[in-house]
Amino acid sequence: MEIYAILQVIWWLLLGVLLIGLAVMVGMDMGVGAILRYVGRTDLERRVALNIIGPHWDGNQVWFILGGGAIFAAFPLIYATAFSGFYVVMLLLLWTMIMRPLGFEYRSKIANPVWRNVWDWVFLVSGAVPMIVFGAAFGNLFHGVPFHFEWNLTSFYTGSFLGLLNPFAIMSGVLALALAAMMGALTVMNGAEGAMYQRARGLVQVAAIVAIVLFAVGGAWVHMLPGYHIVSGPGAGVPQTPLQQVVAMVPGAWQANFAARPILWLVPLLGFAGMLGALLAARARRSHLGWWLGALAWIGVIGTAGVSLFPFMLPSSSDPSVSLTVWNSSSSELTLLWMLGFALVFVPLILWYTSWAFWVMRGKVSAEKIAEDEHAY
Amino acid sequence: MIDGTVVDLSRIQFASTVLYHFLFVPLTLGLSFLLAAMETVYVTTGKPIYKEMAQFWGKLFMINFALGVATGLTMEFQFGTNWSFYSSFVGDIFGAPLAIEGLMAFFMESTFVGLMIFGWERLSKGQHLAVTWLVALASNLSALWILVANSFMQDPKGAVFDPTTLRMQLSSFQQLIFSPDAQSKFVHTSIAGYVTAAVFVAGISAFYMLKKRHMELAKRSFRMAALYGVMATIGVITLGDALGFVAAQAQPTKLAAMEGLWKSEPAPMSFNLIAFPDQAKQENAGAVRIPYLLSLLVTHSIDGTVAGVNTLEQEATRKIENGIPAVQALRTLSKDPKDAAALAQFNAHEKDLGYGFLVQRYAPDLNNVTPAQVQQAARDTIPPVAWVFWSFRAMVGFGLLMLAFFVLAVLYTLRNKVQDKRWFLIAAVWMIPVPFLANECGWLVAELGRQPWTVFGVLPTWMSASTHSVGYMVFSLIGFVGLYSIFIAVEMVLMVRAIRQGPEAHHGGGDARPRPRPALAPRPVPAAAHDTNLEG
Amino acid sequence: MKTFLYFLLFMFLAVVVILLAVLLGDQGAWYFAWLVGTAMIVLISAASAALLDTQEEHAAGQVAGGARKPL
Repeated sequence: MEIYAILQVIWWLLLGVLLIGLAVMVGMDMGVGAILRYVGRTDLERRVALNIIGPHWDGNQVWFILGGGAIFAAFPLIYATAFSGFYVVMLLLLWTMIMRPLGFEYRSKIANPVWRNVWDWVFLVSGAVPMIVFGAAFGNLFHGVPFHFEWNLTSFYTGSFLGLLNPFAIMSGVLALALAAMMGALTVMNGAEGAMYQRARGLVQVAAIVAIVLFAVGGAWVHMLPGYHIVSGPGAGVPQTPLQQVVAMVPGAWQANFAARPILWLVPLLGFAGMLGALLAARARRSHLGWWLGALAWIGVIGTAGVSLFPFMLPSSSDPSVSLTVWNSSSSELTLLWMLGFALVFVPLILWYTSWAFWVMRGKVSAEKIAEDEHAY
Repeated sequence: MIDGTVVDLSRIQFASTVLYHFLFVPLTLGLSFLLAAMETVYVTTGKPIYKEMAQFWGKLFMINFALGVATGLTMEFQFGTNWSFYSSFVGDIFGAPLAIEGLMAFFMESTFVGLMIFGWERLSKGQHLAVTWLVALASNLSALWILVANSFMQDPKGAVFDPTTLRMQLSSFQQLIFSPDAQSKFVHTSIAGYVTAAVFVAGISAFYMLKKRHMELAKRSFRMAALYGVMATIGVITLGDALGFVAAQAQPTKLAAMEGLWKSEPAPMSFNLIAFPDQAKQENAGAVRIPYLLSLLVTHSIDGTVAGVNTLEQEATRKIENGIPAVQALRTLSKDPKDAAALAQFNAHEKDLGYGFLVQRYAPDLNNVTPAQVQQAARDTIPPVAWVFWSFRAMVGFGLLMLAFFVLAVLYTLRNKVQDKRWFLIAAVWMIPVPFLANECGWLVAELGRQPWTVFGVLPTWMSASTHSVGYMVFSLIGFVGLYSIFIAVEMVLMVRAIRQGPEAHHGGGDARPRPRPALAPRPVPAAAHDTNLEG
Repeated sequence: MKTFLYFLLFMFLAVVVILLAVLLGDQGAWYFAWLVGTAMIVLISAASAALLDTQEEHAAGQVAGGARKPL
């Protein structure tokens, strides 16, 4: 029993790590895509921006796939309920995301201005929409989502597509987009020179300010939302279904974890510190430092959401008692254990060879080289 | 109760998106190792023509790879978006290999593919070769984990149903990954990818030889592809036989459908070379039969037999009757997991739980199931015979055709005469679509033959789908068709352009980035922690 | 000394490979066959290209009296 509960918490944390990895690495690429038309005014400038992330976008995108895979394997009920419930949103995410790999491979293969211009718009859409959806999905968790279960755990989603686009969710989406744009601009600063560098530098500062404001507004807003609270249930580390618990909606419940353990306030503070730090680093032209501070900002923002919600992962607004928590939606002990074994071996390995890949391809991207190279994006 | 139309639309959507995805995957699996072979020759002999080959075929590899990755994303979404009950019911087992695939294989593949394309000038020869081999290994490891997951749907090994959590749970990871179906299906599919790549490379090389362009590159590519292809084709056929053997044990209904075997018959059984299966009448309208062959093929002996549809339906009837009390007990356990009487009833009938679900389609409450409803459900256990039968024959036919092609190709190329055989070069170009068709047929045999189950004998397809409205399904289906049509058009244009252009445009291609410092010598040293990202 | 250390390293690797092969051959014979078979297919295909080079050099040698045909 004890081991099971510990494994459940470990996997909740690991899922957080993967989501942060996704936000940082995929967010950076999507940020570059979203600001491509702004930082790159000429075709060559845009190609420079694309080639900065060119060798890495594919590897980075796997964070996204891994995040999805980990939810599936460690919290199958959440994967099943959320992905089917958010059907239209998920399709929007998917359809915009699958255009991106093609954009990289195909955009610069044909030297036709119309062709390239179309792909540049694709980059904008496939960068901005997924980040907004990603943020909005998190935002909706605080509201709860209207779903319920039949006796055999067939899930029914009773909301509409537009219901997912409520003001708080949209705000969360814009926050995610702002952070991604900030990271994308810092990445452009890392790899580009001259006018592009200047435009990116300005953009980092605007995006950071927007993110700081929205994160603060969001915190105050959550304070007014009713939170969820487990009244009774089988508890942690007990095999169970969501049909056996009672959950109540209590005002201010999303602050309960912070009230119980004040040290957790450090998490949102980390978020603010990271955003502010990235802003100052960009002003000081220290873009590499800024990038790392931006990554800290993501840790703070996603960590804040996770800590507020814990142990809830997908609350139900129409039938709060079937809300999905870490305890009632995780996989079995054996699966979590095996997966942990694989994660312990392979996550360090991934970090090692990803670092190596970035190290091999480090340095500025030169426009002249791209112009003469068949291979470049 | 899920609307039947929604289930059908979900099936159509899944089948079309996965068939589309599977157009690109096998080429990746095979071409990656062929690239590794070419680069190995380059590094060992130092002849630049092989570098040119690796880079030229690498360019075509990437055009294909991008679509494979993009359409693979769809697959990962789709289990959750369209098969949510399936996902929560078997996610405990099925999700694990998918997640491990990401951790172990896909990450490696995607990271190193970037280095493979952009790293020609930044890596030493040996390092770059290692990177190419890792891309090949990783893409096939990817296939391994996906097929482990798929084999669980065919033959659910290493899992038990837990009445407390109302789902299948992992009982033995070893049994899951070493299941006979997983093993033979992985090798069959991976090597089918090698065949695909070999035909692709041989066909395009033949095209160049016909046009008398890039002869050095074309002759060498053709030679390598021919040897690679002939051995791989032999492997695929061997493993195809092994898979048939596995199916005879684990999925007798699939085997009966593959062979159009309506009635059980005594040994030695005859093989239906050609037949016209009629599902309603449960008989073949005309058949060309070869005596003894079926017993030999599926049991590897003259006196072995396999069950026909009539026997299998009778068995299904018994299982359905036995499964009904299990589902009823489960309903009680869902409210109170500690109900001892229900638990005892469940344990007594657990084995046929899936068959109890099957009849729920016709008798949702299960309180008074009529014999007619049981009969209807038993009929459902037989997959669409004509589809499976003909997909199987098409696949085998294509396989044998490719074997003949490669044997001839090896003969001609070993004599270094292939460039003079115009008719054969033309045939080689026309062979290009064949492996792709064979792959698609193989998917149809495996997955249509699995019907009416998503997890064989455990979870019926009709229960597995998400509870969407028809409108949602029509919307997503139209979206996929539109998007995917654009994709294939763009891909074909670029592929044909790249082939027309040929390798010349490619000379000296490599790195868009200059070395930041002249004396930079990249070494495979892990960067220090502060140095991991974009830090120069 | 350096040779000896390499010798130890490769001996160790050989033992690991044998152990892996025994285990995999026992539980997953087809997986084992895939590993061996893939290596064989790739290497034979690579060798066949080298053979073509030799054939061409030989043919060129017969035509041009020993002059190597540049690639």
